[in-house]
Amino acid sequence: MALPLPTSPCWQKLANGGLATLRTDNIATQMLSKRMERSSAPVSQKAAEIHEYYAKWERSLAHEIAQFS
Amino acid sequence: MKSPSSAEFQPHQTNGLLCIADAAALIRSGLPLSVAGPESAMDALPAGNWIGGTTPYFMTADGGRVVTHGQVFVTDLSAIGSVRIARYGADALADISGNGPDRGFSLAVIPAGSVCHERFANEAADYPEAFLRPTVGWIAGVDLADRTATAKVYDGTGPTKLTDGAVVAHITQDDDALLSIEIVNPFTPGTGDVLRFEETGFAPTHCVIDGIRTNFAAYLVEHGMADGALPLVGDFAGAHINVSIKSVDLGAQSVTLYAPVFPGVDYRFAAPLADYAGTFREKLADHPLEGAVWSCNCILNFLFGALEGKAIGGVAGPVTFGEIAYQLLNQTMVLVRQN
Repeated sequence: MALPLPTSPCWQKLANGGLATLRTDNIATQMLSKRMERSSAPVSQKAAEIHEYYAKWERSLAHEIAQFS
Repeated sequence: MKSPSSAEFQPHQTNGLLCIADAAALIRSGLPLSVAGPESAMDALPAGNWIGGTTPYFMTADGGRVVTHGQVFVTDLSAIGSVRIARYGADALADISGNGPDRGFSLAVIPAGSVCHERFANEAADYPEAFLRPTVGWIAGVDLADRTATAKVYDGTGPTKLTDGAVVAHITQDDDALLSIEIVNPFTPGTGDVLRFEETGFAPTHCVIDGIRTNFAAYLVEHGMADGALPLVGDFAGAHINVSIKSVDLGAQSVTLYAPVFPGVDYRFAAPLADYAGTFREKLADHPLEGAVWSCNCILNFLFGALEGKAIGGVAGPVTFGEIAYQLLNQTMVLVRQN
């Protein structure tokens, strides 16, 4: 599955708690998920950060990206 | 590395204990190195493209080792990528990830008990690029038998010895290299109370259990946790992140931890291990080690697991006073693999 565009609603969904529901044992994703949960930043900012994370590590996080749909 | 525990004197394979003369020869050859060792041995190394820190404790293929003089543990970083050495003060620690390579990671060493140690521990998880330009590394320590010793780190380009500061090897990997930063934690959360904390810090006075604010020192004593053998295990979206107990003073009602606790995280004390070394050995046997290029393990695992002389598998590396994988960890092995 290709990485969704930055404008995809999936990023907002992930920023609103969806990240924590992904099945993963990747420690970076798990820590990022906790960081998002604890953060008071606007959802749009969190969504952009999550997109940037998956864009950077797309090759090694394919199994997580496949869960976005 | 062909031999993850090798001490062979060959470029691209070195990851083990060397005598000072052999380590110095590697440095003079121009290789970028990560070095760990007792202070007297570290002080004897020449200037070069290396970073390092003090510890006399190591895991090797033959088991845990204590080395108080004459040898250092050397990891050849050229097997991972190209290296740029840097040094950061307490107010610039976010730049470790900020200045990290586009492809690769930053290997940092910070002295235990320093301002940088505390600041990094409290803040690293919130650095803007923490998960885009990852940091791994370790907290330098001391020989626990020497009550006067203090931890040091080394910027080998001087070389310069520091009691505070972070020395960093920014490592750029090849385009096709796939980086994997992993942890091996022998502990799982127990079935006891869920503890929460109101503030970030190494010295919480209270925890919150079922909504009730509770004196933390008294709780630890009452529940038999004051000896520090079992860490708190934080639930970071499923990742088990340990925080170890350093000391408890019931009279002063104070507790000191080896890493900070954070608000918004559920903590439980770890389930006891019937066989500490055996559990670690089993976890490592189940963990893929292909492409392992760097590792460290915790002094508390070394001590409570009585690992001196015991081989547990895994990858050789320094035994440390805190481990770094994106943020500060305790009682955990950190492993970097490149495939």
